[in-house]
Amino acid sequence: MNTFLILLPLILTMLFSLVTVPVLVWMERRVAALIQDRLGPNRCNVNGIRLGGLVQSVADMMKLVFKEEFLPTHIKNKFYHLVAPSIAFMSAFLTFMVIPYADNVIIGGHTYHMQALPIDLGVLWFLAFAGLGVYGIILGGWASHNKYAMIGSMRATAQVIGYEVAMGLSLVSILISYGTISLNEMVSYQTQNFFYLPAWGIVIQPVATIIFIVTAFAETNRAPFDAAEGESEIVAGYHTEYGAMKFGLYFVAEYIAMAASGALIVTMFLGGYQLPYLSTVDLINNFELILWIIIIFAIITSLVFIRWIKTHNVLVMSGLDETKIYTSLIIVFTIFTIIVMSYYALGYGGSNEVGVMILQFVVFTVKLFLLHFVFVWVRWTLPRFRYDQTQKLGWNILLPISLINIVFTAIIVVGVNYGN
Amino acid sequence: MGIKVIHRHGNTFKEKMYISAVYNGMKTTLKHFTKNLSDTSNLQSVCYPELKPTDITSRYRGVHRLTHRKEDNSIACVACFMCATACPAECIEIVAKEREDSVDEKMPAIFNIDLLECIFCGYCVEACPCDAIRMDSGIFSVIADNREDFIYNKEKLLSIKCMEGEGFSRAK
Repeated sequence: MNTFLILLPLILTMLFSLVTVPVLVWMERRVAALIQDRLGPNRCNVNGIRLGGLVQSVADMMKLVFKEEFLPTHIKNKFYHLVAPSIAFMSAFLTFMVIPYADNVIIGGHTYHMQALPIDLGVLWFLAFAGLGVYGIILGGWASHNKYAMIGSMRATAQVIGYEVAMGLSLVSILISYGTISLNEMVSYQTQNFFYLPAWGIVIQPVATIIFIVTAFAETNRAPFDAAEGESEIVAGYHTEYGAMKFGLYFVAEYIAMAASGALIVTMFLGGYQLPYLSTVDLINNFELILWIIIIFAIITSLVFIRWIKTHNVLVMSGLDETKIYTSLIIVFTIFTIIVMSYYALGYGGSNEVGVMILQFVVFTVKLFLLHFVFVWVRWTLPRFRYDQTQKLGWNILLPISLINIVFTAIIVVGVNYGN
Repeated sequence: MGIKVIHRHGNTFKEKMYISAVYNGMKTTLKHFTKNLSDTSNLQSVCYPELKPTDITSRYRGVHRLTHRKEDNSIACVACFMCATACPAECIEIVAKEREDSVDEKMPAIFNIDLLECIFCGYCVEACPCDAIRMDSGIFSVIADNREDFIYNKEKLLSIKCMEGEGFSRAK
């Protein structure tokens, strides 16, 4: 049990960064389709099972893996060309290491950290590796020896220089109000109340939240700040000369970077793994009541989902009958979870700490996916910023606002502490 | 002479803040998303191989067909080579022969259209003086296993039906 709890955050990091990528790609395509009044991928299937189109993104990844690895002959710096996507991928992957998935679990006097890398320098680690991710893009664009790739990576460089400043400064005001740089302590801080509202970052620092989210979009090179791969002007930007899995690494890295900055936004501004008004101690003490609420919630959601799938799974594929399988799976799963949870809810289980840990992990995942939805939603709403607009927004608007925000935050924090 | 003043957008303070425009845009897309997620039957997508498009009219330039005469149901074409001359893709091959049933003087012995070369411009239909070739079959998808099967000969072209109505040649 002890070894498992130590290894759990590492496993979760792997899950969050690698396994969510196909889910994110699927979500992106489906949400985009529904926003644009289309259906999206709904054909790819394994013996009739389509998982709502999720099989498509697995198939896409398989295609990228099995494609021929080629290297254009004009590339002189083969090593840099090959290492660039790995840098982008690796730094996006490492960013996830410091995110706390749940509160520290104390079992038998031992404290288990639910961070893969339980260091107190969480924010600095994120800044370091989020910034490093762009080096992969810059190196790739330069080593491609191609003008479009070069322009793309130059744009990425200029954009990151401009937005990293605003991002760092918005973080400074956050750090002043939290008084810590450890991500776990930040989440603990956010369990307090702030004038009847949960003291989440978005409540106590709305300006810094907006600036951080905007700069996080720019930092991960996602729309509306994806001028670095502006396909309408510069072919494909920095990955013009990349094919097969080398391109795949860039592609995956973009989604992992998005997931990582989403996780950081959840941790710092949306209360992390905490439910509003409920601290970890409250959860442990009232675990039975919470389980009953979850059981009711599970029954309602599965009923809604079964009704939805009956009316919407219209396109019949050859092979197994999907509607029947999903419905029976949902029913079996719901009954199973209800039995397990009511076993604990009636007080036979003991050890509420692990249960609370799982609950907090689920809360974190739900918040993270809501934020991913926002990322996707923004991408399919806003048109791409022109390059000069990007720079103007970064230097002329976000930077001064974040500086003013720091001054105000500092004055208020000092004033409040002086009064005490 | 009046001067028309064109109002340039994006210069006021409110527009430069982006916030209100972003909010409105996000609201619109979210409305579409929730509406379509709760009821996908409103979507315009056609699940193609299972469902066929319903908006193809007889004016749609589909696969060509050769028309028949109303009087005796024989071929309307007189092998005048107008269509082959008008064809920019040069996909029509005609070999003429004398017509022995005294309905007309000439008829095609061979009339081949290579659908792989055809660009479906409809010039042949425009050029025909006898209303003998038309593209009102409504067939938008041509499938074959090999190149030879894409060359439609006279019998094949005569056998293709009109989408609406009887489709006899209207030439006098």
